[in-house]
Amino acid sequence: MNPRHVARTAAVLALALVAVACGGNTGSSSPSGTLTVWLMNGSAPDSVVSAVNADFKAKYPNVSVKVQIQQWSDVTTKLDTAFAGSTPPDVVELGNTLVAKYAAAGALTNVGPKKSSFENSSTWLQSLTDSCTVNGKLYCVPYYAGSRAVVYRKDMFQKAGVQPPTTMDDWLQTGQKLMDANKADSSFSALYFPGKYWYAALPFIWDAGGDIAAQGGGQWKGTLNSTQSQQGLTTLSKMVGSLSRADKTGDEARQDQAFVQGHIAMLIANGWEIGVITDPKSGDPTLKDKLGVFPIPSHTSGQSAPVFLGGSDLGVAAKGKNQDLANEWVKLLTGTKFQTQMATVGQVIPNTTTLLDTNKDQPLLGTFAAAAKNSKFVPNSPNWANVESANVLPDMLVSIFTGKAPIADASTSASNQVTQILNAKS
Amino acid sequence: MIAIRLRRRHVRRAAFDIVGILAFLALIFPIYWMVATAFKPGRDILRFDPKWFPAPAVLANFADAISRENFWNSVRTSLIVVISVVVISTVVAFLAAVGTARFGFRGRRAFVVMILVVQMIPLTALVIPIYLQLNNLELTDTVGGVIVSYLAFILPFMVWTLRGFVANIPVDLEEAAMVDGCSRMGAFLRIVFPLTAPGLVATGIFALIQAWNEYIVAYVLLSSPNHQTLTVWLAGFTTNHGTDWGPLMAGATLTAVPVVVFFLLVQRHVTSGLTVGAVKG
Amino acid sequence: MCAAPLTTDSAPASLGPRTGALARRPVSGHRLREAALPYLLIGPTVLVIGVVMGYPMLNLVALSLQHYGLAELLAHQGTWVGLQNYQDILGDALFWQTVARTATFTAVTVAASMFLATLLALLLTRVSSPVKLLLSGGLIFVWATPVVVAIDVWQWMVDFEFGVANWLLTNLHVGSYAHHNWFENPLEGFGVITALVVWGALPFLTITLYAGLAQVPVEIVEAAECDGAGAWQVFWQVTVPIMRPLYLILFSLSTIWNFRLFDQVWIMLNARPSSGFYMLGVYSYVKSFKVDQFGLGATIAVVMVLMLMVATFVYIRGLARSGELDR
Repeated sequence: MNPRHVARTAAVLALALVAVACGGNTGSSSPSGTLTVWLMNGSAPDSVVSAVNADFKAKYPNVSVKVQIQQWSDVTTKLDTAFAGSTPPDVVELGNTLVAKYAAAGALTNVGPKKSSFENSSTWLQSLTDSCTVNGKLYCVPYYAGSRAVVYRKDMFQKAGVQPPTTMDDWLQTGQKLMDANKADSSFSALYFPGKYWYAALPFIWDAGGDIAAQGGGQWKGTLNSTQSQQGLTTLSKMVGSLSRADKTGDEARQDQAFVQGHIAMLIANGWEIGVITDPKSGDPTLKDKLGVFPIPSHTSGQSAPVFLGGSDLGVAAKGKNQDLANEWVKLLTGTKFQTQMATVGQVIPNTTTLLDTNKDQPLLGTFAAAAKNSKFVPNSPNWANVESANVLPDMLVSIFTGKAPIADASTSASNQVTQILNAKS
Repeated sequence: MIAIRLRRRHVRRAAFDIVGILAFLALIFPIYWMVATAFKPGRDILRFDPKWFPAPAVLANFADAISRENFWNSVRTSLIVVISVVVISTVVAFLAAVGTARFGFRGRRAFVVMILVVQMIPLTALVIPIYLQLNNLELTDTVGGVIVSYLAFILPFMVWTLRGFVANIPVDLEEAAMVDGCSRMGAFLRIVFPLTAPGLVATGIFALIQAWNEYIVAYVLLSSPNHQTLTVWLAGFTTNHGTDWGPLMAGATLTAVPVVVFFLLVQRHVTSGLTVGAVKG
Repeated sequence: MCAAPLTTDSAPASLGPRTGALARRPVSGHRLREAALPYLLIGPTVLVIGVVMGYPMLNLVALSLQHYGLAELLAHQGTWVGLQNYQDILGDALFWQTVARTATFTAVTVAASMFLATLLALLLTRVSSPVKLLLSGGLIFVWATPVVVAIDVWQWMVDFEFGVANWLLTNLHVGSYAHHNWFENPLEGFGVITALVVWGALPFLTITLYAGLAQVPVEIVEAAECDGAGAWQVFWQVTVPIMRPLYLILFSLSTIWNFRLFDQVWIMLNARPSSGFYMLGVYSYVKSFKVDQFGLGATIAVVMVLMLMVATFVYIRGLARSGELDR
């Protein structure tokens, strides 16, 4: 056979194969393949995920979606290795404090150009949008948020003859009255505050006018030891010292289990923790009618303290092979239909201000959504995740609560660490 | 005279027996506590003063653990990984042990030293390079990739130990077999292999425990929840809502059971195997 | 009881290499195939170890010479910085604290494990049959428990609020351990971890030592006893020297395993250990996966291996001298 013929036939065949292989992604004909989605444990209720997949399947019948649930503990290891490989998951849920790190390293696709194609993009919660923005570019889509308020036992309040407080001073007094009323119980805590619970410590710092760090001239400077921050820490330390019997070196992971035991009057918690507390299997459903919620009081009457807006975003992996399909899936989960379900079924705060009032009339959840309107975020730097990994804030709180260091020293040392880590050249 | 000596010996033995029983109780307590917790209902677990005996004993925790998504998948994955690793590593290590113990060849010392040095490398340090390498071979998130990784970590110790076993068998036996007409390989299979059986069992059990136990490599390499190993599956009981102690202990008990059963079946060979290989003389 | 003095013939068999095993000339003429046979036999092992560990090892050393952050990880390309990482690590105060901590921990756990295992092994030789069965059974159970499971159980036993160990210690009036966090103070925390590690190590060590004890020729022991030696002297001057090779192996293995410790610290502290709990393996992991400095993490790992090689150098040299490597 003529070698030139052979070569040409081979080339044509090769081109045809390439066309077929690549054709699945253009979306013109019905695309096929597998879409891999990583969601974090406990973020979306199973019913919501199934419903999203059903809608997706209706649109793209030949694409199979693999949703893989990941655990929070050590997730950064998995993310590192997954993004480093050549076949990362197409869609990834990232905690909002982790996004900057991966975006800056080139792991995520810039979805800025497509922003308007996402529903409600003009009314996304500002804090979540900020968490997705690095160097002015948008690297992910806000997914859901969580804010904190104070969950309390109405029956214990009634017995002690107290009302939900409206200022910080009021709060301390209420707590002390509760402690007096329950003097006989040696495990009782008016306010259960595990030492490392830095998310719940931030409102005290912010309410006093302080902050974690400030950016000026391209450099970050830790401000945990500013006068205002220290004042906030002093208030917090007084409250914890007199009202809490929680582990001063533990974290908040098991506070719901502890609350169920019945020796706690108040708890700073996320909205979805109510579901955990009243869970029939691991909690106490009888508590459902005994729970109330009030926003974290400010030292200024009539306001509530700024809260930390936790939450997650959805990113598309830059090296993912199904960019368009990934975008489509994200569009579904972050769109109005399923965000409403996230609020009602998932009991989290949806990603857009237009839906913030979905749970307004819910006696308990409404307060959390309202609190979210006054929220702040951590310094938005790619190095922030390293500050978290180095446990700077938890360690500072622990030294203050255990009396190992006075507030001035602990906060200064933490401030210096924050400055150093945030300004480090990656 | 003799009666007094005998009585003293009996008293001494009784004293030792008491110490032995106390030692047993101290050793076994954590395991007892795990199993007891697994059978307790939730409210008996989270109590300030502990309940020593699970009464009433409930199976709810076991039901919870088993009904968790991916329990049976994890069991299957762990079994596949462990059986493959044990079988393959035993065969490969035996061959290497024979090669090293019976032959002099250039590079033999280097090989033996390498076998020893390789055991000093911490697993966590190699996780990233191994992941990236397996990624290039498209073996990440596959059970095969995990098996191959485990083999590399387990082989050194196995070769090292089996070498001792093989070396303890007199060459004369093989030579006699060869005089009788066996080929070299035939002599190995007919003579050496059966005699090293206790050693093979001992090292096989070691491989089994290592493979069943391993956590970090499996965690990093396997991202799909439907083929994780049991150790990784156990980690899922601790979420940011806290730890489900009852189901976790139940899951842990279930994870420990296969190894314990297997162990009890072959434990006689373990002790004799370790004896022969470890102390020469 | 006391027979005639032993003759030299029944002295303990030599612990040197068995003769006759080495490099016999093949009987038949298939010389080439015979010569290739050893290489074929060790081939699969070398292949697996080479591919799965060899390349990563080289990669590890290469990594330690580069600056390799998250961006570099994703791009598969680092920047060469020569020995800068080594300089950084060797000048890092936390690194040296970690080295000291790791060395101390290893020494303590190895010593404690070997000591207790020896006692238990001796105990096994002295108890009656039913108790021996009970005790060995207990050891087997502990041995068969997966490490991750054991860590979870111990964590539960020392739980801040509901730990049974806390309750026991309080009610035995050892102190007040109610609502006590064992990991607030690294010293106490390591106490728990040491107990856990020693507990987990006892079965293997005890059973091996017991098997070794059973191998000590009875005649020697009886002869020494007849000569008037007490039980302690018999142990030190007769039993231990005979078991020396076994002790050497076990000491070396224990040292290597405990030096590399990772799981126990990591899982006990819920993947967030404070720097007071760092061991070298943990520090390397933290540097790599927590602050994304894979180059530095690799450097720590390389230094770890070098340290272990130095520590076991004595053992390896002893092996080479006694001809063990040539058996």
